[in-house]
Amino acid sequence: MSKKELDLRGLTCPQPVLATKKLLDDASVQEVRAIVDDQINVNNLTRLANYFRAQISVAQKNDSSYLVTISRSAQADHGDAQAEQIQQSQLQIDKAKTGVVVFLTKDMFGEGDLEFSRTLINLFLQTIYESGQRPDAILMANTGVKLMAKANSCRKVLDDFREAGSEVLACGLCVEFYKLKEEIPVNQITSMFNIVEYLFACGKVLSP
Amino acid sequence: MTKTSDDRQSEQLPLLTASVKAQGCAAKISSSALFEMLAGLKLVSPKELICGIENFEDAAVYKISDDLAIVQTVDFFPALVDDPYIFGQIAAANALSDVYAMGAKPILALNVLCFPACDYPPETMQEILRGGASKIAESGAALAGGHSISASEPIYGLSVCGLVHPDKILTNSGGKNGDYLILTKPIGSGVGLLAQKAGLLSKSASDKLLQSLTSLNARALEIASQYDIHGATDITGFGLIGHVLEMARGSKLSASIEAKAVPIYSEVEDACAQGFIPASAYTNRTAYQENVLYDHNQISLALIDLLYDPQTSGGLLLACEENQAHALLADLLKNGLEASVIGRFDGGHPGTISIV
Repeated sequence: MSKKELDLRGLTCPQPVLATKKLLDDASVQEVRAIVDDQINVNNLTRLANYFRAQISVAQKNDSSYLVTISRSAQADHGDAQAEQIQQSQLQIDKAKTGVVVFLTKDMFGEGDLEFSRTLINLFLQTIYESGQRPDAILMANTGVKLMAKANSCRKVLDDFREAGSEVLACGLCVEFYKLKEEIPVNQITSMFNIVEYLFACGKVLSP
Repeated sequence: MTKTSDDRQSEQLPLLTASVKAQGCAAKISSSALFEMLAGLKLVSPKELICGIENFEDAAVYKISDDLAIVQTVDFFPALVDDPYIFGQIAAANALSDVYAMGAKPILALNVLCFPACDYPPETMQEILRGGASKIAESGAALAGGHSISASEPIYGLSVCGLVHPDKILTNSGGKNGDYLILTKPIGSGVGLLAQKAGLLSKSASDKLLQSLTSLNARALEIASQYDIHGATDITGFGLIGHVLEMARGSKLSASIEAKAVPIYSEVEDACAQGFIPASAYTNRTAYQENVLYDHNQISLALIDLLYDPQTSGGLLLACEENQAHALLADLLKNGLEASVIGRFDGGHPGTISIV
């Protein structure tokens, strides 16, 4: 866990937002304090913080520059809805809750011929997606996290679910163990604690 | 590959975009500022001037006879990519587009060039002009001269003259209630160019973006001219919302845009959600938001930002009746254009847009 400071004054777009993003891409960075010239950079950093589900606070300084503080909690899960711009996505999820969680503990569907079982899991996810059903979350653990690997044929449909408002989360321990850290966005990494919370809180678990 | 400012210092030559503060049509002055500036001007309006300043048309149109009008436009902007040849191509395609947006055929083009001659070798300037000339030649217009000055930023564009039959002119103001709106290129180039500069776009996404920005709207117009088009414009610095709004105002109608139907350059929505947004997207938002209605819970902030994103060398926006729209869309798609129906005009409060 570390805290970083950036002086982004005088830089032209996209340098300020890019420099901040590079720090936030590193999951060990907990807080970034950045000084920027104007409201435009504040707007851009607000979106960046929202993207990383981090909290943001903005203070205008005497010289009319802004001090922007972006911080994330250890679980890196839900952002704070304080800034008026940080809106929709979270609200939308809360509003559309279906109570259904898909829990994938292996990178295939059932037991059988390996290749066939891997085709089936893809078909399973595609079928849910195309039916218009939206689980509140798709949780992956053990070899299930391999579905999120860039080369895996399921990655696209998982990204589609995320785009459509479902949480798509992979167990951090498992991601670490199968060495997939580079391939999975940090804001889609979750803890066993969170997984357990999801499973207890939801109405129905689908686990093929 | 985009370099960071640290890398740049170790290079012998500055990147073409190094001294540029606002890229492409993102450098456009806001419409509200423009409106105020123009308000005080003394204007001569001969009856032959069919399209002047009033409706924020894409180009001026002057009627010479009952079957001939000339269309005149000028458009230029600072370098938006580091490759001078591609910059020249984009700037020329963008300038020529204003003529197509009026339904006209370009016949003459003049270069407009500002160039920091001390910072770059003459070959760079040559490449910009060569890129521009390639697009002028493709359009069938003659490159007939131009004007160049030494300046602190590389800036390039064209003044273009075109011809059109006065009955075939496509203006902002011809839209009818119920018309479908067809867009002939994806949007998101403002965000896309920033993301490219930041190194966020994959090679294929970046290539596809540049390929689209350098392509002329000639083919789209050629196809559209076989249909009954009520109004047209091209999507540039004021973003999709700004230009739809101009058409809605001109046509005294309201418009609805179906956000999910608007095509977006690939990988751009993700960059937008991360805050890679040009300043003038916010200027556009400030200028237009009071006329734009949408439900925050239904449409993501990134999508809204993209609808305000300033476009460079954007597609044509065509308004036509529903049955025409289906045939036209099929025709455009068949010819390889990334066209889609993105909304329609309706009879709500004139000069407003609802995003659904």
